[in-house]
Amino acid sequence: MKLQHYLGGLEGLGPITIETRVFVEEWEKRIFGIHTAMMALSPQLPLPPTPSAFHTVWTWAHLRTGAEGLNPFDYFKYRYYEKWLGGISGYFIENGYITEEELEARTAEYLADPDKPLPQGGAPEIDQRVERYLAEGDSPKRDVAALPDFREGDTVTVRNVPTLEHTRLPGFLRNHSGVVETVYPGAYGYLTDTGTDGVGAPMPVYCVRFEAKDLWPGNTEPNVTLYADLYAAYVTKPTA
Amino acid sequence: MTDRFHHPDDREARSAARVRALEALLIEKGVITSKTVDTVLNVFETKMGPFNGARIVARAWVDPAFKQRLVADAPAAIAEMTDLPEGMAGAEGEHMRAVANGEGVHNLVICTLCSCYPWPVLGLPPYWYKDPTFRSRAAREPRAVLKEFGLTVPESTEVKVWDSSAQIRWFVIPERPAGTEGMSEDQLAALVTPEAMMGVAVAASA
Repeated sequence: MKLQHYLGGLEGLGPITIETRVFVEEWEKRIFGIHTAMMALSPQLPLPPTPSAFHTVWTWAHLRTGAEGLNPFDYFKYRYYEKWLGGISGYFIENGYITEEELEARTAEYLADPDKPLPQGGAPEIDQRVERYLAEGDSPKRDVAALPDFREGDTVTVRNVPTLEHTRLPGFLRNHSGVVETVYPGAYGYLTDTGTDGVGAPMPVYCVRFEAKDLWPGNTEPNVTLYADLYAAYVTKPTA
Repeated sequence: MTDRFHHPDDREARSAARVRALEALLIEKGVITSKTVDTVLNVFETKMGPFNGARIVARAWVDPAFKQRLVADAPAAIAEMTDLPEGMAGAEGEHMRAVANGEGVHNLVICTLCSCYPWPVLGLPPYWYKDPTFRSRAAREPRAVLKEFGLTVPESTEVKVWDSSAQIRWFVIPERPAGTEGMSEDQLAALVTPEAMMGVAVAASA
């Protein structure tokens, strides 16, 4: 497990930064667009094939795994879209779409002449699929029977699962108990199999209510309730 | 520590050149087209954005029965508003839920693991939402964080913090400001900011 899995409740961080912009540099828009296109063109989606050369899977899970796999100090060093740029360019190199050398050479060209135009062209079906992905989404709900072990009002304990590189379990909830607020109808898969961490296959998801005073005894504010959406693999029956 | 956090002086110029190099190579290799990135960005300027959420909240303010349906089943209620752009159940909006502020309850939406955000109704997350300091502190000391945003929530008001860790993308229906009786839905929508729909602000006063 990494520090970035355990952000909730860290102390001594100082004031927040109230930056209401979505992008603080123009270049950030471009990496966002590339990431979204990769998700849209990823071949596991039930969308019409296109002439795009993109033939490997890319989902949110891949982006998140990259950020969660970073050295924690690098995670905090780099701004949000800097992490995206590092993860995505690394992916295209690792999967053989481009080489490090050509990316470096081309970067040097654009560093010397930032206004040098981009190449033009490409099949319109690619952009049609990108728009269709955004409009239709990619629901994780799966048409399989969900057999929830818990009902609304039941107390559950969060398991301390062996997480490796990626998880959807907020670390500060591990080993704490809460009350099931909602059993979401149906079963939900996750974009990738997180291995011993336990999510991937379709399973029920619970909204679980925690009292902040139980999570951080003597070190929180009064009258605060925290709700988290937890895959069934992350919760168990209390032992007591 | 200082060395580890050193950045080169041309940090932004390097990133800008690298992303342009990447985009150029991907176009040349047929992965994307020269219009793909602009196509994505255009969707977030015209179809998916906080302008939708503001209209949904304004509708909830003028129609209490709609507000009830929105809280009970957000996608179904949003689908009733046929004048919204297509894609309101699209990417990052497949399973949305709305929580309403009211007497004695203030809601705050966070994502401690990453930056989950309801794209169709709110567009893309602002930097404050993605900031590790916000994500850490809002879980344990939400009132202190809200105070830094300029919002004082008394101890008698329950603060409900929603951590977006699975399929649900949450948003907040802020309270209708006083003195807005008789305003049109369009006028009301102009009072609703992304910050109000995440719970770090209230709707602007008229």
